[in-house]
Amino acid sequence: MFVAPNLAAVAVFMLFPLGFSLYMSLQNWDLFRPAKFVGLANYRGLFTGDPLFAIALRNTVVYTVGTVVPTILISLAVAGVLNREVRGIAIFRTIIFLPLAVSSVVMAVVWQFVFNTNNGLLNIMLSWIGIGPIPWLVDPKWAMLSLCTVSVWRSVPFATVILLAAMQGVPENLYEAAKLDGAGELRQFVSITVPLIRGAVSFVMVISTIHAFQAFDLVYVLTGRNGGPETATYVFGIMLFQHAFGFLEFGYASALAWVIFAILLVLTVLQLRLGRRRAAQEERSWA
Amino acid sequence: MWPTACSSDDDDALTFFFAANPEEADARQRVVDAFQRRHPDIKVRTLLSGADPLQHMSIYCAGGKCPDILMAWDLTYAGLADRGVLLDLNTMLAQDKAFAAQLKAESIPSLYQTFTFNGGQYALPEQWSGNFLFYNKKLFADAGVRPPPGRWEQPWSFNEFLDTAKALTKRGRSGRVSQWGYVDSWVASYAAGLFGMNNGVPWSTPRTNPTHLNFDNETFLEGVQFYADLAHKHRVAPTSSDTQSMSTMDLFISGRAAMALGGHWRYQTVDRANGLDFDITVLPTGPKGHVARSNIGTTGLAIAASSRRKQQAWEFVKFATGPVGQAVIAESKLFVPVLRSAITSAGFAEAHARIDNLHVLTGGPAHSEGMPITPEWTKIVALMDRNIGPVLRGVRPATSLANGLSHAVDEVLRKP
Repeated sequence: MFVAPNLAAVAVFMLFPLGFSLYMSLQNWDLFRPAKFVGLANYRGLFTGDPLFAIALRNTVVYTVGTVVPTILISLAVAGVLNREVRGIAIFRTIIFLPLAVSSVVMAVVWQFVFNTNNGLLNIMLSWIGIGPIPWLVDPKWAMLSLCTVSVWRSVPFATVILLAAMQGVPENLYEAAKLDGAGELRQFVSITVPLIRGAVSFVMVISTIHAFQAFDLVYVLTGRNGGPETATYVFGIMLFQHAFGFLEFGYASALAWVIFAILLVLTVLQLRLGRRRAAQEERSWA
Repeated sequence: MWPTACSSDDDDALTFFFAANPEEADARQRVVDAFQRRHPDIKVRTLLSGADPLQHMSIYCAGGKCPDILMAWDLTYAGLADRGVLLDLNTMLAQDKAFAAQLKAESIPSLYQTFTFNGGQYALPEQWSGNFLFYNKKLFADAGVRPPPGRWEQPWSFNEFLDTAKALTKRGRSGRVSQWGYVDSWVASYAAGLFGMNNGVPWSTPRTNPTHLNFDNETFLEGVQFYADLAHKHRVAPTSSDTQSMSTMDLFISGRAAMALGGHWRYQTVDRANGLDFDITVLPTGPKGHVARSNIGTTGLAIAASSRRKQQAWEFVKFATGPVGQAVIAESKLFVPVLRSAITSAGFAEAHARIDNLHVLTGGPAHSEGMPITPEWTKIVALMDRNIGPVLRGVRPATSLANGLSHAVDEVLRKP
């Protein structure tokens, strides 16, 4: 009886839309005309007939790797630095966590100004050291890099919070023992801190991957609804939105959504399996 | 005027959905007010669109809250008409023979037929919104350049246009451009097609429901290449990097651009600019073209098929697209009207007393050629954006469109 309201919420807001979108993926529906059953034609079209699917997959993978890897590396470094008891560390912590409070749309709009080719902050700073203006958002070669930069900037605070919390759970005596053995700060970080927060790193990796794979609002506002200059930033989120709300092809868009889900499911299962296997190996090596 | 937000409980009011820049919105309100004075029993609530009117309309109508009266665009209405969202106005015209006869006598056929789709009439045109060139008279005089022609029957060539633009492009000592010869305030890929069209090749044949667009036509592509060269080879027009910080219309209004491509929807903005001495001229004609042509840009008013106040909505549509409303529109500088009586009226001439070349507007509809009308236009635009992009950046030649874009577009158009 106590579970009922929760169950109702899950059913209405999760199960029904999931089921409906699966049902929709087997139809052609444009919101106005009655839906027409087409079986697996949408899925077949995605994999065989749509060159943009391959482009979106490639772009999404590049974007995900380009976001998750730098995010983890930078957050490890930042969390490591914030983990000390230096004076004024609270202020630095607040500054680092600020992007968490800013909406993606606002962030994208501000970064558009920063990336402006002729008058943007970034190009002005580069001109001080003699580098000519880079067409950050206008040239396809640079657009993905710009997008990843903003994405990393947005993801680092969240990852840092998680990793910092994990680092603060590492027992002090390990560090003392290492110092006695003559290990420097960096060595302590690499050999003690990082291995012991492996669980948190794994968690951050999984969450960041899922989040990056589904990125939409940042991409839409920063580089436009068509996926940036010539499909440079045409990721799955943009493809889905365009097919659903631009072309009014809800069946196709639903099929795409389920394909994304399937890919993410496989990725997540792989990541968790690898994490578990590594942990098991470690335990065996300690024994 | 309410922006699109949650609607209040004004259930007996007609909802009128349209898109307008702030200057146009004022003039629209005048037309609505004029209607309400004549029909005090019919209330009209305006709904101003956001950035993407087609998306707004689709979502409203799919959600069951279709506005009673919808602004219809020549390029995008076909998708809604095809899906049964818009009412076939022939049913209303059949019961209103007097108005139908009047419309037939005064309408300009090419504009009226723009909204004829699969045998039905899905909107009545309310304006001609084809493109032409605004130009800064003072900059021309300062540079000693001959003013461009004032009538569509007196075309000027691509080369004359290019020489003019070159003479009017000025660079500062650092090499940075301080004054552009030409800027484009429309959609770049559409404007590129206009230059292709003015080289003597239409966008498609037929205009409505084509199965092929002329992106593989060499002569059409020559016009597109000429347009792309303006920014990259001749450097008389800004590249997309240059226009990131200042919009092209702002460049023209602040006197930093000598010519700007645009339609009458820009007229109010230009007219209200302080100290800008401007006039308008026709689009240049390519070497293989024989006449100067604008595009049959037009918007109209449509009624939702699901509207519960069709008769009242029809009264408003009749007003705005009929002689009375069109006369108000002509005087208010809102649009170039579509009825002959309104275009040739003294009110229209007076509203545009600042310009000498009024014939560019009054003769516009008769010297226009159509852009394709197809329900698949949103997909075509996405393809054009992706493929014409590199051409406009100067990275690929226009001839590359014959292989990539042309095939992709034809595939979309030929799907059942």
